[in-house]
Amino acid sequence: MIFTLSWKNIWRSKRRSFVVIGAIVLGVWSLIFIIAFYNSFGAAFTRNAINHEHSHIQVHNSDYITEPDLKYQLKDVDVMKVALDSLSSIKSISARQKINGMIASTKTSAGVQIYGVNEQAESITTGLEDQLVEGTYFSKIRRNPILISRKLADKLKVKIRSKVVLTFQDIEANITSASFRVEGIFDSKSPKINEGVIYVRQSDLNRLVNDKGIHELAILLNEGAEIDEMKVFVSSITDNTVRTYKEIAPEFNLMEESSVMTKRILTVIIMLALLFGIVNTMLMAVLERTKEIGMLRSVGMKKRSVFSMVVMETCLMGLMAGPLGLLLGFLTISWLSDRGMDLSMYADALKEYGYDAIFYPEMDVVTYPSLMIIVILTAFIGAIYPAIKAISLNPLEAIRKI
Amino acid sequence: MTVIQTKNLKKVYNPETIPVVAVDDVDLAVEEGEFTAVVGPSGCGKTTLLNMIGGLDQPTGGTVSVGGEEIGRMSQSQLTDFRLNNIGFVFQSYNLIPVLTARENVEFIMLLQKCDKAYRDKRTLDILEKMGIRDQMNRRPAQLSGGQQQRVAVARALASSPKFILADEPTANLDTKATESLLDIMAQMNKEEKATFIFSTHDQRVIDKAKRVITLEDGRIISDENR
Repeated sequence: MIFTLSWKNIWRSKRRSFVVIGAIVLGVWSLIFIIAFYNSFGAAFTRNAINHEHSHIQVHNSDYITEPDLKYQLKDVDVMKVALDSLSSIKSISARQKINGMIASTKTSAGVQIYGVNEQAESITTGLEDQLVEGTYFSKIRRNPILISRKLADKLKVKIRSKVVLTFQDIEANITSASFRVEGIFDSKSPKINEGVIYVRQSDLNRLVNDKGIHELAILLNEGAEIDEMKVFVSSITDNTVRTYKEIAPEFNLMEESSVMTKRILTVIIMLALLFGIVNTMLMAVLERTKEIGMLRSVGMKKRSVFSMVVMETCLMGLMAGPLGLLLGFLTISWLSDRGMDLSMYADALKEYGYDAIFYPEMDVVTYPSLMIIVILTAFIGAIYPAIKAISLNPLEAIRKI
Repeated sequence: MTVIQTKNLKKVYNPETIPVVAVDDVDLAVEEGEFTAVVGPSGCGKTTLLNMIGGLDQPTGGTVSVGGEEIGRMSQSQLTDFRLNNIGFVFQSYNLIPVLTARENVEFIMLLQKCDKAYRDKRTLDILEKMGIRDQMNRRPAQLSGGQQQRVAVARALASSPKFILADEPTANLDTKATESLLDIMAQMNKEEKATFIFSTHDQRVIDKAKRVITLEDGRIISDENR
């Protein structure tokens, strides 16, 4: 009975009900859009950081983490590589020799981190070859080729085939210098790499430091592989320190936490706006029906039935509008996740923070039911005050108005 | 059998500031099956008396008993239940639920009483038939004339099988034809359903049909005439 009456009451003033339903639909849609947009920010940042900088897992000598010295090298690299090479969940492994040094051109110099890499493995692990914007990838210059970032090239005022001098300590702690020729200029999606990482062939660096030791093993996993499980496995086969990208770069956790917080705040703001809209409209609906509600109370309708009637009326509108908003949001996100949102006009600023200019909004399917619950809860809370107003009416007032 | 009994019933508005005595020391007994009109000029206390009998207003003094049960001692919740199961209300401006059809309006009161569907259906159709509006039962109040709406209101009041029906100026918004027709039907219901009717009115047509006429003046009963 309460359901029927509530349902019919909704359609008593179609325009007003459609305004409430429309407001809820719009609120839910905008919430989905904002959450999905935020998710795309986080996903883009993580994707770039994994694919172009940290990979999923890195292995270091535990001492190297606190003091990145040449002598703190990985133990049993070959054993690890043999054990890991057979795993289908691993896409590629890049073993790097890493040294801090100076790079100098005829114009200026800068502090850099020198990565001695296996060209093929590095190309698969970080997509370095694809990031070249000029020159070639370790193929044309035979002696001491070097790849530097566009940013560093501009700073050093060098171009392809320019000569630069690298200075660093060898394994005996002797200062060593060698000249290299710029073979390629890259533009990484990682601001940190653009800032101060240069790539040389591992064989060249081995020769100059008089050592073949490896300092870092970067492991890129295939899509869907379990990172934590892999970390446990790698830890089980080595005494070195194994860390996931989240452990390497705490900013991931910070970003994740701030993203969750921001989404919650936005949800609360949107739902609050919705709440006030619902309270206002339902209050109007109740006050317009003062006489009728008074009559219902007079003839014997209990307070809790009147309360339920108003609450159900509001919740029914939420139940109609919620799925509509979710569907609209789902369709919008599906469409945008295929085509992407082009923010090219902010490309430079976004790049500084490690973002692409195109975002692909995404949202977990499990978020949809949660949003539905939030909408119903908002409708319920929004109905409480008007419902209290309705049950506070004195039935006699209605009789006196006759 | 006495359905309603009032003793020294009194209602004073604004007792602290400017006291206005609406009902003054009214002793009244209404027997089952009566067709009673409470008459008197505007402001004589008719509506206030009916409100107190209907449990909608609290007396300042005295008691109201319905079926031997004193309603002044009941809580608000008990009074709500009491009204649902003992009193039928007919209002001057019909007060039907606009979103429900005539049939649903009548059935509604039995839904509140939690009657089973078979009983509701039978009772609804039966009453609507007797009230002569079965053909219009699927229409909403806005699609009915004033007279038809008031018949639905009477049907609703009767549907709950109350001990008595309180009707506050039931014909005030009706034309002569509709008034005559409504009064005939109410008189018929009084006879067939043994329904006890108490009207407040100053409509002479209603007074003429009443079997008992109680006249109020300044809150006091000045005459009580059985016909």
